[in-house]
Formats: sequence, structure tokens, C-alpha cells
Amino acid sequence: MEFNNNIPIYLQIIDSIKQDIVVGKLKAGQKMPSVRELAGILKVNPNTIQRVYQELDREKITFTKRGMGTYVTEEEKTISSLKEEISQKIILDFAEGMNKLGFSNKELINTLKEYL
Amino acid sequence: MEQILKATQLSKYFYQKKALDKVDLSIEKGKIYGILGPNGGGKSTFLKIAAGLLKPSQGEITIDNKKPGVYTKSIVSYLPEINHLYKWMKVKDALNFFKDLYADFNIERAKESLKFMELEEEEKITSLSKGMMGRLKLTLVLSRKAKLYLLDEPLNGIDPISREKIITSILDSYSEKTSILICSHLIYYIEKLLDYVFFLSEGRIILSGNAEDLRNKRGMSIDKLFQEVF
Amino acid sequence: MMTLLKYEIYRRWKWLVLRYAALIVIGAILLNRVSSPVYQYEFIGESIGKFALTSLVIFIIIIVEGINMLKEDLFEECGYLTFTIPEKGRTILASKLVLLLLQLILWTVITIGFGSIFFSKLPYQEIIQIKSQINFYFFPTVLFLLTAFFNFVLMIHFSLTLTKTLLVNKKYSGLLSIGIFFFLVYLIEKVYYGPFLNQIKHISIEVGSRSNIDLLSGGYTAVFLNIILIAIFFTATAYLLEKKINI
Repeated sequence: MEFNNNIPIYLQIIDSIKQDIVVGKLKAGQKMPSVRELAGILKVNPNTIQRVYQELDREKITFTKRGMGTYVTEEEKTISSLKEEISQKIILDFAEGMNKLGFSNKELINTLKEYL
Repeated sequence: MEQILKATQLSKYFYQKKALDKVDLSIEKGKIYGILGPNGGGKSTFLKIAAGLLKPSQGEITIDNKKPGVYTKSIVSYLPEINHLYKWMKVKDALNFFKDLYADFNIERAKESLKFMELEEEEKITSLSKGMMGRLKLTLVLSRKAKLYLLDEPLNGIDPISREKIITSILDSYSEKTSILICSHLIYYIEKLLDYVFFLSEGRIILSGNAEDLRNKRGMSIDKLFQEVF
Repeated sequence: MMTLLKYEIYRRWKWLVLRYAALIVIGAILLNRVSSPVYQYEFIGESIGKFALTSLVIFIIIIVEGINMLKEDLFEECGYLTFTIPEKGRTILASKLVLLLLQLILWTVITIGFGSIFFSKLPYQEIIQIKSQINFYFFPTVLFLLTAFFNFVLMIHFSLTLTKTLLVNKKYSGLLSIGIFFFLVYLIEKVYYGPFLNQIKHISIEVGSRSNIDLLSGGYTAVFLNIILIAIFFTATAYLLEKKINI
């Protein structure tokens, strides 16, 4: 995974994991790599991964069983709302980007229709 | 959080030059720290004092609450920038030497690491390339189960393949009971490893902070921040 | 200390074996020539001379090596390794000095061993003359010379270590070390041997001891003085190595 060192690393990892969950790379209930394992794979500080897992646990996207590891949530609801959340952000970015270029919201819809 | 190293108003003078000027610094267990700065800024001097090679001119430094001495040398694993291994040694002699003199040296781990680093036991120290020597030194230093690792420019003059191996080895050594202090001016490659950074220039700490917080607040990588500051 | 000593021996074991083997072999060869039935004075003198020369060369090698054992750790990159291992300064110093002592003893035994065999080949009258002089002062003289040279190396170690405490650059370190060394020699001559020995002179005359104050012919008091100097310089050097040097 390529990192942009200009933004906090842990945020980038969180986004990447969320993405993987939504597209199904990480299945519901699947066991996540241990903190050490993931740190070694991504070549980042283990405390960063620790923070990632803490954040994901907080958002209830993952849950940690003491002594056993961190698992992806089994709640389908959570995953679908996550999908919703990410897609909303993409749309927001798109809209903002297009607006910056000078497209009004109506023009923006038309351009999109043409593309698709 | 427990502190493994504490420097208070630490100063080191060489004739008229202030290599370190009233430095206050502390290292907690279970974290990886970076001391970053331009060459000649005092990074190596700081590590050498912590390793027990230089004596402070003023101020104090304690490791595990003890002044540098025989005890601290037994819990601190120091990687100098220069080639400090005895020239008469072969690789296997270096391993045996560390095994004999350091109680916390894990020789099985070292032998595995040698394989990973692609080093042969029968090779003479004097015939090793710069990259090989760098990998050997790191193998020896990281195969000890020390409380504090001091790495002085571990990636200097190292080819890209060796560099990846070295970074992997450093991560493997990490544990909540150990601390790692890395000095480097090649920030790009190591910044993802760091919990906390100190910027040291002309013997003074001019900036310090949690790496991720700095990225957040300044909106730039530690590398860029370094270039901006220096 | 045994571990460090082991490595001091291990790293140069081939050289160690070579030099003593050479001394013994050359001694044996010369002895063989001298033992031939055709007996000539010149031959013996020549052989003794050659053996003495070989012996002297080996001795110089031992002394120089003894000095370099500490010098390289103080002034070269390997010092970073030596002074970060968890051993006290006195242990590091001791490991080097023990090897030096062992070598000096071994050298002395071999040299005197062959030397006495050579001398026994001399004609009767000459042996009597030499023997009467040597017997009286032999053992103290040997001890005196051993301790004197051991102390010599130790004083150089001290000078080098003191230099390393005061200076960080390599530039003037040679000069400073030599300066300190000669200053110490002067100090010892003027302050130590002189007045000290005057005191002892009175005591030994009263007790009627056989020890002679003339240093060249040796005497147990001189040996004792040397041992005190050794103790002083060892302690001082060990202290500096532990607490004061900057590598």
C-alpha cells in the first residue's frame, strides 16, 4: 500500500480497511491481522496500527476479543451504512470538485449522464 | 507510561563548540522515536552519550534511572554509524563475541537474521561491502533483547534492497517492553516507523511531537516539515 | 575478564605460537651447533649473541603489542565496540595486561632456560666468575626487570588514556601522550625512587637484609617499589577508562 506521508497514516489505513470491507475483500466476521502482523506488512509503526484498530472498534466497524484478536463486524447493517458513508463522500468530493471547476449543479448532472 | 531514558539539561562541549546545548528529552517504553536533523547537529553526540562513549559536560542523562555505566550498557544496544567491529573477525566471530559478552543476545535469532540478510558466517569482516556491513551490524544489534535500541543512521549508504530488510528487522524487534531511538537525516524512509520525533539542530531541540499529530497539524509529511524547518 | 582474555588470545593465537616457536627453534638450532664435538669459543659467543638478539627482538614485539592492545581501542573505530560492552574499565584493562604478563613470563622462562644451557657450555673458569655475580642478585634482578617493563607498558597505557580524556582530536594525541609519559618518568625518578629509597636504605642496614639499593643489580625493595607503581597506574588508568574517557 502506498502512503501519502502528508496526511496522518492511521487515517489512510482506516480508509483503506473500510474500503476493503465494503467491496468484500474483508468479509463480515473475518479475523484481521494482528497489530504486529499488519505493521510488518504495511511497514508502519505498530502503535499506528493500534490506533487504527481502536478507531475502528470505536466506530463499531470492528470488534476486538481480548486475547483473540480483532474481527470485522458481523452486522450487515454496519457494513451497508459504511458503504453509504463512503459513497456519499465520493459524491461530495465529485460535486465539490466540479463546482470548483465552474460547473453548476445542473450542468454537473448532465455531464454525468453523458459519461454514463 | 514508563520512561526508559531521561536527559535533563544535557550539554556537551568540544573546545568552544556546543554539540549539545541544554537538551531535555525523555523516551517512553514501547515507542519508536526519531531524532532528526542536519549533519553535525548533535544527533550522534546524543546517542554516544546515551551509549556511554562520551561523558556529559553538563546536565544529566539516566537510562532506566541509572547513569551510563556497566548496567546501562547491558540494557542498551547501540548501532554506531562507523564500522566498529574488530577487523580480525569473521562474521561468526562477531556473533560469538556478542553471545559471550551480552547475556541478552539471541544467537539463533541472529543466525536466522543472517540468512535473511544474505550474509555468510565464514566471511571476513574486512571483505564486506558497505551494505553487507550495515546489515551485519544491524543483525548483531537487533538480535539482543535490549530495553533500548540506539540506531545511528541505520540506512546511510544502504542499497534499496538492504534498506527494506533493515526496516523489516527494526519492526520485528519492536515490543511494548522496548524502545527504539533512530537518528537519521534520511527521513522519507523511516518516518512511517516513528511514534514521536525530535528535531535537533546546533545542539538544541527546535521541534518535537507525535508524528501523526504533526502530519495533521502541519498538513505535510515529516520529511517536508524537516526540509521546511532546515 | 576471562572472556575478554580469551578473545585477546584467540585473535592473535597464530602470531603467539609463531613467536615462541621461533624463539625455541632458533635456540635449539644454535644450541645444537654449540654442542658439536668441535668446540670453539667464537662459536659459543656468536651463538649466544644470535640467540640474545632473537630474544630481544621477540621481547620488543611483546612490548609493542602490549602497548597497542590498549592504543587501538582508544584511538580507532573498534573502540566503539570495546567501550560499549558491559564490562568495567578495570576488566578491559586487566584482560590485556594478563596476556602481557603471561607473555613476559613465558619469554623469561624460555630465554633464561636457553641462556643457562648456553652458559653451562662455557669453559669452567668463566662460569665460576659469572655465576658468583649472578647468583647473588639473579632472582630479584629478573623480577625487577619484569616488573619494570610491565610498569613501562602500563605507564604508556596511562599516558594514552589520560590523553584521550583531555583531547578529543587525534591530531596532537601522539605528542601529548609522549609528553605525559616523559613527565611521569621524570617525576618518578626525582620524587619516588630517590627519597623513598633513602628511607629504605636505613631500614635495610639495620635489619641486615641482603637487598641492595643499587637498582641495576636489583633488590627486592626495588621490585616492591615497582609493584606499588603498577598498582597506582593500574588503578588510575582503570578509573579513567571507566569514568572519564570520551571515545
